[in-house]
Amino acid sequence: MHNRSFFRIFMQTGAWLILAFLLLPMLVVIPVSLTDKSYISLPQDGLSMQHYTNYFTSAEWLWATGTSLFIGVGVALCATVLGTAFAIGCWFLSDRMSTIARWILITPILVPPVVQSLGFYRFWVQLGLIDTYTGVILAHTLLALPYVSISVFAALANLDRRIPQAARSLGASVWTTVISVVVPAAKPGMMAGAIFAFIVSFDEIVGVLFITVRNVQTLPKMIWQGIQDNIDPTIAAVATVLTVITLVLMAVGALRKS
Amino acid sequence: MSNSVLSVRNAVKRYGPVRALDDVSLEIGDGEFLTLLGPSGSGKTTLLTAIAGFTELDSGSLSLRGTDITGQTPDKRNFGMVFQGYALFPNMTVAGNIAFPLKVRKWNSSDINTRVAECLALVQMEKYADRLPSQLSGGQQQRVALARALSFRPSVLLLDEPLSALDKKLRADLQWELKDLHRQLGVTFIYVTHDQDEALSMSDRIVILKDGSIQQIGGPGELYNAPRTPFVADFLGKSNFIEAEVTGGAPGAVQCAAGGESFTVASAAAPATGSRRKLALRPERVRIGAPGAEAFTGQVRQLSYLGERAHVIVTHPGLGEILVSCPTWKAGITPEPGLGVSFGWDSDACVFLEDA
Repeated sequence: MHNRSFFRIFMQTGAWLILAFLLLPMLVVIPVSLTDKSYISLPQDGLSMQHYTNYFTSAEWLWATGTSLFIGVGVALCATVLGTAFAIGCWFLSDRMSTIARWILITPILVPPVVQSLGFYRFWVQLGLIDTYTGVILAHTLLALPYVSISVFAALANLDRRIPQAARSLGASVWTTVISVVVPAAKPGMMAGAIFAFIVSFDEIVGVLFITVRNVQTLPKMIWQGIQDNIDPTIAAVATVLTVITLVLMAVGALRKS
Repeated sequence: MSNSVLSVRNAVKRYGPVRALDDVSLEIGDGEFLTLLGPSGSGKTTLLTAIAGFTELDSGSLSLRGTDITGQTPDKRNFGMVFQGYALFPNMTVAGNIAFPLKVRKWNSSDINTRVAECLALVQMEKYADRLPSQLSGGQQQRVALARALSFRPSVLLLDEPLSALDKKLRADLQWELKDLHRQLGVTFIYVTHDQDEALSMSDRIVILKDGSIQQIGGPGELYNAPRTPFVADFLGKSNFIEAEVTGGAPGAVQCAAGGESFTVASAAAPATGSRRKLALRPERVRIGAPGAEAFTGQVRQLSYLGERAHVIVTHPGLGEILVSCPTWKAGITPEPGLGVSFGWDSDACVFLEDA
């Protein structure tokens, strides 16, 4: 009995330590965001909301947030439309070539982001897309496509092949069949894919650093520059706001499921 | 066939080295209930999906009332189809499913409503119009699939093993309903099954397929009583096979010898004297009796009681094992393993088979 309880304590302590290791760096931004100093530090003489005020009143920060949201939504739309079309096409064909095509499409996940960003940079220069919204949306769409197509593939895996056949035999054209019976089946995957695509884009920095200069300022890039140029605690406030929004969304999702 | 609605000519479909359809030609009559029957891999489903337009033929042609439809896509063929597993649209209600082919054909909404109500009544599913397919039992889903496939008044209805997922009792009920529906609507039914009882009980004609080619076509009684090949004799019901030598006689009374016994076969065609032929003999045509009562003497090897009938295996030193199926209520004797019995059959009980 003694040995067993020792083992239990050891395991539990270990588990909690690992959790703390994972969570504390994230949580440390909360006290930092409340500091009363004008540089990154823990609160000394008291708590202050000034950095939150700064975030919500700074045109630059708000513009960057808006830019990231705009790009994220654009990417979610483009990637969902293209990724769904790709997945549905492959599902209909489901031959050797379509399997190869599926593998090629998920390479963006496998290639190191720096290598890919370099590729974007070289190519975007030639296309004149450097430092444009179109350029960023296009690059992020390419990065997000695999997530959308994978989740749509997963949704279509449950679709009985005889269902689109039934629609065809009942007189529906290929297009009507896709819209009326295949897309509804793909919908859960499309929703999940769109959310993934938005997150991929909202979070992305390496590509943005390579292909934008001044004109396009996204939130991750702004945070990055904030660390580089000045050590403004507003960054911590932004990070806290994002963390809280994420937690709220997750809680809502969990409640809706249960 | 004079009033042929659909004809299949020299249809060939290969999957790699396998010939799923090997030069199949078939005329389907207007309003008939035609069953494609065969074991798995016989090509029956390939033939049905080729008719539906989902399988492209390597060669051969299909025509509907004289018009070639070989290259037509499934949506243009206007055939109703009931799929194995029903294939109802899970995102639409029962009424939505039935209305789908009508909406695709751009009917106006009041016509659609009238027709959907008619079709629901046809399959007695009026109460379930607003349910989703997932809220229905297998038999109910089957009815909806049927109503959906009939709603746009197709001239031909294709059914791919529609009852295979249902339990035995429900299957029997739905067989009657399908038959009634067929008679009531006058639509041509092309029905695929591997279940010989289903085929025998419902069809006007049965097409027996094996390895991608047609073995025999005929009415249920014709196929059962006059099988042409050992495969047909064995696949539809049970058969005893006897290798016999033709020793003489004339059409109507052919003399045969087998296993040291001789007997007469009432066959319209007389094979050449001296030729060896295979005969099929249905177990229920064999009579069993007390020793001396029938022509041949044997011994009971095994007995299987099936309720309304009993199956008895009788061994004969020359003929081998003969399966006898006799009604249990008038066996006359009580066959027990080891009992000496006599057995025999009428001269029209045996059928000459082709060597195939």
